[in-house]
Order: sequence, then structure tokens, then C-alpha cells
Amino acid sequence: MTEASSGNVGHEAGIPSVGGQLVIPVLSIIFSLYYFSTILDSPWTAQVSAFLIGGILVALSVLFILRTVLAARRGEASLRMKDLFPGADISSGRLGLFGVTIGYIVLIEWGGFTLTTFLFLFISMVILNGGQRKRMAALIASMMALGGYGLFILAFDTRFPRGPFETFMEAVLNRGG
Amino acid sequence: MEADFAFFVELFGHTMSYWWVIIPTIFLGLIVGAIPGFSAANTIIILLPLTLAMELEVGLIFMIALYSSSRMGAGIPAILVNIPGTAGAAATPLDGYPMTKQGRGQQALAMSFVASTFGGLLTTIVALAAMPILAEVGYYMHSVEMIVVMLFGISLIASIAAKDTLKGLIAGFFGLMIGSIGTDVVYATPRGTMGFLELYDGVPLIPALVGLFAVSEAFLIIEQKSILTDKGRELMTTTSWAATLEGTKIAVKRWWHITWNSIIGLIIGVIPGAGASIASFVAYQQSRTYSKTPELYGTGHPEGLIAPEAANNGVTSGTLVPLLILGIPGGATAAIMLIVMQYHGVDFGPSLFFEQPELAYGVFMAMLVTYLLMIFTILPLSRYMSRVTLVSTSYMSPIIISFTLVGSFVPREYMFDMYLGLIFGVIGYIARRTDYHVAAILIGVILGPLLETYFLRALKKSDGDIMTLFSSNLGNVLWVMLVISLVLPAVLDYKRRQKKSQETT
Repeated sequence: MTEASSGNVGHEAGIPSVGGQLVIPVLSIIFSLYYFSTILDSPWTAQVSAFLIGGILVALSVLFILRTVLAARRGEASLRMKDLFPGADISSGRLGLFGVTIGYIVLIEWGGFTLTTFLFLFISMVILNGGQRKRMAALIASMMALGGYGLFILAFDTRFPRGPFETFMEAVLNRGG
Repeated sequence: MEADFAFFVELFGHTMSYWWVIIPTIFLGLIVGAIPGFSAANTIIILLPLTLAMELEVGLIFMIALYSSSRMGAGIPAILVNIPGTAGAAATPLDGYPMTKQGRGQQALAMSFVASTFGGLLTTIVALAAMPILAEVGYYMHSVEMIVVMLFGISLIASIAAKDTLKGLIAGFFGLMIGSIGTDVVYATPRGTMGFLELYDGVPLIPALVGLFAVSEAFLIIEQKSILTDKGRELMTTTSWAATLEGTKIAVKRWWHITWNSIIGLIIGVIPGAGASIASFVAYQQSRTYSKTPELYGTGHPEGLIAPEAANNGVTSGTLVPLLILGIPGGATAAIMLIVMQYHGVDFGPSLFFEQPELAYGVFMAMLVTYLLMIFTILPLSRYMSRVTLVSTSYMSPIIISFTLVGSFVPREYMFDMYLGLIFGVIGYIARRTDYHVAAILIGVILGPLLETYFLRALKKSDGDIMTLFSSNLGNVLWVMLVISLVLPAVLDYKRRQKKSQETT
């Protein structure tokens, strides 16, 4: 775990922000309740294990939320979410990287591994370098994308997503071979 | 043919003559082990036409070498970039990655290689010698005993997140709940699937592994220019071969630790279904419990790295024991080996050792030779491998995201699995930011479906009587051990704190 990942990053006037620590317990409760709703009419074999595990999870989560809220009421912690959303989200390019990653998954089905990976790597590296070192980013992105194509698709025939580049190369190589 | 000393010497020489198969396979295994989504099992499946076309002996040696080396390969990214190549290496970064951040990546790799090879070597020899006795272990493990073994795994969750046991338990049970997604095993009723057909078979492990470890880490590391601390970077750029030697020395000095943890791995490996992920966490937890310096675990402590690496390599030989003696594969790779062997007309069982001893014992001999050759081929590479940590995070992070997300697509070829990898990445990111242990969530996801299967089996056999969980002698012994493992760390910790406070006053 990186230093930045420590849960105690969000301090405000000496009081740690712990609101972010409630996200996992709240998610756990919501998911458990949803899960229970899907098995209410099921046979007992589908229910027994889930009710046992889910029941314990809900109990533990409620206990944690209570403990945190009480600590906040005593003034030992703040319920703000600074531990989860630090200012570095924008300055580090994290939000930009997240957006490009979603675009990568959406496009790879049509664009195939090589082309989409090149685009994703190039754009992400440019964002993370603050718009600098575009040539280096292009060089590394093309090396990684072509290297990945050579190793995984050509050499191992792995089931990577295929697109126009892979189809074109297959036609070229088949004609050559 | 009698299995005496001369027989084993001859078999060793014969297996060694296949070095031309073993050495290239070691490098292939290292690569596939290091990339999440490319396990040895998947690679053997991809190369199945090739394996089936090989002579039985060559095919067998190829599969064994790939299996052993991929287990070691999985530890490399776990140490260097906090991304385990397989779930079996999920405990490796707990102390391996902090060492890397301190600029001791080369040393950590050397330690991991020594622990893996010696652990694997030793357990192979033990398995060879004690094959019939070890097979009995698997024979006595029924549903009730398996439930307790699974609960052992879950109890470790709280111990792993020792800073806050409550958060550790929430993370573990959250993982268990996610692991329960899918249709139930008896009536195929969909549960918690949110309407996605892709989740009817349960949550696939590779996207969970990729998201929780790789994607979340990639989004975190971009806050710094390098994953190394300033001091670590300085140390890494000036490091020499001495770091490899130092790492080797540290590991060799802890030979007893390697021995003990690899035997734990061997025993857990013999139990069908338990596997390397449980073994590595059991090893880590017991290593910390009995350590004189438990507070150093998680900060880059050599024993915290050696324990899981020795154990998960011990599992490798363990999974082959029930396969050879009972025909029950202890894991996915062993199951594929079973299929390949049956294709060649080989039937497993005790008679194999009398009818074809060179084949039955040859499996373990191939593993022994692979581990021997690995020492000489891999150890020198640690210096160059560790250099990857010097790469700037602005380049490393996108590369990790793209290759691991595509890796999550490979096993099932569903685009859905890439989205799932990203969702797990977000969960992992939130968990890391707020000090919930991602390894605890992962082990929950792994154990969820297994626990339910054994639980239902036990209840069905006893007509729904919950007391069946306490009906077996072996099970009861395991229950007592489980309670001890939960209570003992807290007692020891209390005693240590008392002793410290007495010393200060």
C-alpha cells in the first residue's frame, strides 16, 4: 500500500477525516439487503449460507458505523470525506486517467487490442505528464502495444480483443506465409 | 522395478537429461505466472494441442516445469509493483512491496526465489518419501473438516488487518458476500446477480484479483513520481550484485522458517480445493504469531515475505499427491494434468506406483529437477527485474491498467469482465484509501463459493442438523485449533504490551 493510501491522510485542524471509512460498511449493508431481496422466495439451500454471512456482515458494519459516529460526536474525528477524496485527484490526473480507462474498455471491443491500447497508453501518459513528453509517450505506447501484439497475439495466440489492426496484420501475414 | 536408492539416482539423471524442455519452460512459466490472468492452468489449456502431441514423458515434464515456475513467477510483480500474478501470491506483497519501496526490491526477489526454490525442493523430497501417509490427509477431509479449514482462512482476515480487527472482518465478510453472487448449487436460483447473466456462474476470480490489486494500485501510485521512496530510489540506483547475495544470505539463514512454512503449504496442498491462497495466508499468520518481532510484519520484514513464498511453493507438490494416489486433483492445474494423462491412457491410483514407478515418481522428480535448475537460472535475474521499479509512475500506471484489464478478458472472453475488473478497481481504491485490506476482500471472494458448497453438503448429509459441524473428531480438533489461532495472537499481543509497559516504568 502506498503512503498516499493511508487512511489518515485527511486531517483537518488535527482531527482526522474518517467519513471515507464508512463507504465500505455502507456499501456492505446496501449490497447485503439487495442480496437478501433476491433470495426471499428461494429454497432454503439458496438462503442459509447467504443469510448467515450477510447477517454477520450487516451486524459488523452497523457496529463500525456506530463506533465512528460516536467518535465524531466526541470530537475525536470528522465525518468529512477528505480521506477518500484528496485534492490530488485532479492535480495527479487521476480523474482524467479514470475517464480514459472507461473509454479504453468501451472502445477495445471495436478497435481491438493493439490500436486501442496504443491510444489509451499515449493519452494517459500525456495526461499524467501534464501535457509534456509527448514523443516519449508515443514511443513507449507504440512499443508496448506492438510488443503486446507480438507476444500475446502472434506468439501465444491468446484470446485478446481483435480489431482492424489485427485483421489487417493477419491478412498480410497469411499472404506472406 | 523396485523404488530403491539406485532407482531414484537413475531417475534423477534421466529427468535431468530433459533440461532442454525444462529451462525454456521455466522462463515461459515465469512470464505467465507474473501476468494476472495467465495462470499455468490457462497456459496449459492454450497449449493443450501441443502438450497432447508430445510424448507422455515430455508433456508431463513440460506441465510440471510450467506449474512450478509459474508459482514462483506470480511473486515477482507482487513484490515489485504490489500486484500478485495469481491469488496464491496475494500474501506476498504484504512485506515484499514495502521492501521494494525501501529500494530493497532486488534483495526481496532473491529472498523470494530462495524461499520458493528451497520450499519447493524440500516439499518435493518430503512428498516423494511420505506419499502414502500424505495421501491419507486428503482422504480424511470431508465437508465438516473443510468448513473448519475454510473458517481458518476467514479467521486470518481479522489477523491480517491487525491495525483494526473490525475493519478486517468487514472486508473479509464483504468479500464472502461478493463471492456468494451467482446461482445456488442445488436449484440454480440466481442470487445477487443484478440481472447480469455473466454473473450466474459466480464472480470470476481474475477480474477480482486484477481490480483489487492492480487497477487500484495503479490509480494510487500516480500521486508520486516513483513507487520508491527518495531513499529507496537512491539505494536502488547504487545497488549491485551484493543485494542479491545479501537477500540469499538472509533467506538461507532462515532455513528453518522456509522448512516449516513449506511443510504447511505441502499439507494444505494435499487437501483438495484448499490451494495456495489459503496456504500463503496461514503461513503468514502463523509466522507472525510466533515471531519475536510481530510488529515488523507489514513493514518489509524478511520473514513476512519468506513464509508465504515457501508455503505457496509447498502447495505445488502437495496438490499432486491426491492426484497420483487417489486420482483427485488438488487444484486446477492438477486437474488439467489428470485430463492429459488420461488422454495418454494412464490411470491414477496406488497401482501406478507398482506398475509404472518411473512415471509416478517421475512426476515428483521432474518437479525436483525444475526447482534445482530454477536456482541457477532465476537468481541472477533478480538484479535486472528489480530495475522495473525505477520506471516513472506516469508510464507504469497506464501500462499496468491496460495489460491487467485485458488479462481479465482472456479467461472467458467477456467484455463484461473488463468492466468488472474496473469496478473491483474502484472498490480496491476505496478500500486502500480508507485502510481496509484488499487481500481480506480477495480471500473472501475466493472462499465464499467454497464455503457455501461444503456447508450445504454437510447440512444435506445431516438432514439440516447444524450440530453436524461438531460431529467429527478431526473436525473438533480443528475447531479447537481455530479458536486458539483466533485467541492466541490477542493474548500474546496483550502480554507483549504488558511487558513493554513494565520495562518503561
